[in-house]
Amino acid sequence: MKTFGVIAGREIWLALRNRGVVITALIFALWFPVMSAVGIAAGTDGDAAAVAGGIAAIALLVGVFMGYIFCSDAFLREKRDGTIETLLCTPVSLRRIWEGKTVGVAVPAYLVTLLSAVVTAATVSALTDVAIATEPLLYLHLAVVVPIWVVASAGFIGAAQLALGMRENQILGFVFIFGFIFLIVALQEVSPGGPGLSVMTEAVLAAAGIALVALARFIVGKVTKERIVRTIP
Amino acid sequence: MNAVEVRGLSRSFEGRAVLSDVSFTVRHGEVFGYLGPNGAGKTTTIRILLGLLAPDAGVVRVLGRDLAVDDAARARVGVLFENNGLSDRMSAAANLAYYAGLYGVPDPAERIDDLLTLVGLTDRRDDLVGTFSTGMKRRLGIARAILHRPEVVFLDEPTSGLDPGAQRMVRDLILDLSRREEMTVFLNSHHLDEVQRISTSVAILAGGRIRAFDSLENLTGASDRPTVTVTLADPDDRVRACETIAGLAFVAGCDPGGSTLLHCTLADPGATPDLIAALVGAGIRIEEVRRSSRSLEEIYLEALRSAEGGGA
Repeated sequence: MKTFGVIAGREIWLALRNRGVVITALIFALWFPVMSAVGIAAGTDGDAAAVAGGIAAIALLVGVFMGYIFCSDAFLREKRDGTIETLLCTPVSLRRIWEGKTVGVAVPAYLVTLLSAVVTAATVSALTDVAIATEPLLYLHLAVVVPIWVVASAGFIGAAQLALGMRENQILGFVFIFGFIFLIVALQEVSPGGPGLSVMTEAVLAAAGIALVALARFIVGKVTKERIVRTIP
Repeated sequence: MNAVEVRGLSRSFEGRAVLSDVSFTVRHGEVFGYLGPNGAGKTTTIRILLGLLAPDAGVVRVLGRDLAVDDAARARVGVLFENNGLSDRMSAAANLAYYAGLYGVPDPAERIDDLLTLVGLTDRRDDLVGTFSTGMKRRLGIARAILHRPEVVFLDEPTSGLDPGAQRMVRDLILDLSRREEMTVFLNSHHLDEVQRISTSVAILAGGRIRAFDSLENLTGASDRPTVTVTLADPDDRVRACETIAGLAFVAGCDPGGSTLLHCTLADPGATPDLIAALVGAGIRIEEVRRSSRSLEEIYLEALRSAEGGGA
């Protein structure tokens, strides 16, 4: 567990000091919610549950995208610089390296996502008179479902970045993002609770997110060091 | 038990054989020079030894273990690749502290201070590595590689890209470390001078095969056609000495190297006393006779010629 903490701590430290990534993340985390908040305010007709559902949906998408943005710094950079080779020679298993990096990516990504949710809620509140603070499921969504999907996004994309070459990663990066977004929308549609905030929809989303994390962990177990080394540019 | 053991190692990429039946061993405490031209397969060998690549055939062991499957055994091994394994966005001390955490180094602060002093970077400990010169990064990379006191350290082209001053500094550092920390050093290099200066044993890899493997002493001293340098007491004897030598069947060739020097290549390795007797018998006064050793460069070039000629 100690090496997990060492790797995660280093990734959090590096992510928060990467000005380029942090600025990109903040621009997206502020611009996208403000634009979305205008739509939410206009389309929900003052319905508190619908407003909360809109904020929840935006937060989930932002979380997935933040996982992708911060991943590039933790996984792809290490591969591009070739330093992953040295890391693979330490007595730490590849799975433990992936776990540490995934959590190290997920923490700053989640913090920015929370900031984004607060901005969305504040903007919607400024445009409508809806009392968003009274929706407990929104808090559950932000505290449980969103972090699970941030970890799933970071873990899945991180595993792919370890296994694939640089060119494939460039091409497939956005495919993964849109795949995640499609999956979220599809899950909300097929959930017995339907789109918006409901206990059932939250349970389905949480379960699917956990399954994705488990799948990513399984995939990392199948990635060989040779595969990683031979895809270093 | 040897520190490193390679038996019958073969590896190919996309049908092109990079290593073919490579075998050698490295004893504990040796500085082993693994020589070969660029693209010969030196880094591939290191990667296979470290478990980063899988061999097509053969057996590799480091400290008796297969590092590909033995996570714990990797704690006994250090490695320095050309990229140094450092983050440019972290300070020198933070980089070392990170790896100290991964290797579970006891008293990391003290060890880091000692190593930064050893590599002459104490005053830059809190500076970002991205601001360092190539030579400084390499020295810090070496400190990182030995941070956990490994029993074997693999250095892949450690002086590549460095200016002559920095090359010498790194070379001295490797020698100092091998003595001070009693480590086995596996040195990948195509710098003959570097290998000759610090290695105790050498293997030359060319054309995917080991062309020479022995202690440096044996390699440079042994030859089927040794060279003997004769220093004449009187420069006036030079022409007569050349004529005398030309008539000797056991001398394959003779090059005058100066007014009193003659470099004779013997066809028979044991013919040095006969050469002396012939010259003395011809009334030529001799100041000194010295058996010349072959340079590593000669051996290396011979190995390359052998590889180019398709020798197996």
